[in-house]
Amino acid sequence: MNDLLLGLARWVDTQDWSTQIHESIYLYSWIETTHVLTLMLFLGMLVIIDLRMMGKSFTGVPAAQLAERLNRPMVIGFVVMVVTGFLLYYAIPVRTTQSIWFRIKVVLLVAAGINAWLFHRAMRDSVDTWGQDEVPPDRIRRGAATSLTLWLGVVFTGRAIAYDWYDCHKPQSEFVYWAAGCVDELAALPQ
Amino acid sequence: MDVLFLFEWLDTSFLATISKAYGGVFAVIQMFHLAALAVMGGMVMASDLRLLNVLLRDVPSEVVLANTNRWFDYSLIVLLVSGVFMASAVAMKLYYSEMYWAKMAGLFAGMAFVYFVRRPLFRGGLEGVSPLAIKITAISSIIVWVTVAACGRWIGFS
Repeated sequence: MNDLLLGLARWVDTQDWSTQIHESIYLYSWIETTHVLTLMLFLGMLVIIDLRMMGKSFTGVPAAQLAERLNRPMVIGFVVMVVTGFLLYYAIPVRTTQSIWFRIKVVLLVAAGINAWLFHRAMRDSVDTWGQDEVPPDRIRRGAATSLTLWLGVVFTGRAIAYDWYDCHKPQSEFVYWAAGCVDELAALPQ
Repeated sequence: MDVLFLFEWLDTSFLATISKAYGGVFAVIQMFHLAALAVMGGMVMASDLRLLNVLLRDVPSEVVLANTNRWFDYSLIVLLVSGVFMASAVAMKLYYSEMYWAKMAGLFAGMAFVYFVRRPLFRGGLEGVSPLAIKITAISSIIVWVTVAACGRWIGFS
């Protein structure tokens, strides 16, 4: 699997556009700035919805109404983040593929997606019984808290990608080499 | 007034000792800074887009403002505290960074705008305020805070 991912990353790295984005003076910076600024829209809306589901904010507004109204800007923010995130990966594919933080971020993104799906389903099935309550039931609050935790994890790991503590070119433990997908370094380890 | 002495003091302070010696601590604080930025941005967007009649149109503006103001304050406190810590690691570099001063100008203008213009203007509700003033206030708020956030990111590139 690591060989496959690294092979793909190396192929992307040979693309002209990847090099051009990476080496441009302003384009890469603007893509990254857009990625961070859109966080304010996407995560900001998500935080408001989750705080409502936890009974910490907008308690006088029906939960489903708030979630429905904020859903569109949240999705717009998410789409822009995915596009700019893909471009950031496209610009620096090999190092990103071999970043342990990027890998944790992807796992957290998948977990957050599954949680969002389960949470949305639980909310849809039961919101008629508690939607007007200031404080929603325990399982809804737990789902919202899980959502916030996972997304904060995504933000944390996303920011950590910039740090080179666990990069393949540095001496690491065998576990880190494996988890980060440092294929060449793993192969060079004495058996 | 030259504030170089403040930066020189910060550069040799206890905060700087920690932020320079422990990269992991710096990174974690930086992540809280980013998370607080997202929360603040959400509160700004939700309240200002409501004032512009774009978002949450069926929720009274006063309700949106009351709920977002509190979380705006919390996130601003986290941003300021974490920001001072982060600045301590590169105090002298920041002193000579134009982008940093652009961010500070935006930050202080934004805080003055929020606490001395926006909130006093809407304190008694929106009924007595002209629709044009409401829209100008909302657009100004979005521009100021997005500029502050963008300048903050560009400090890293400059």
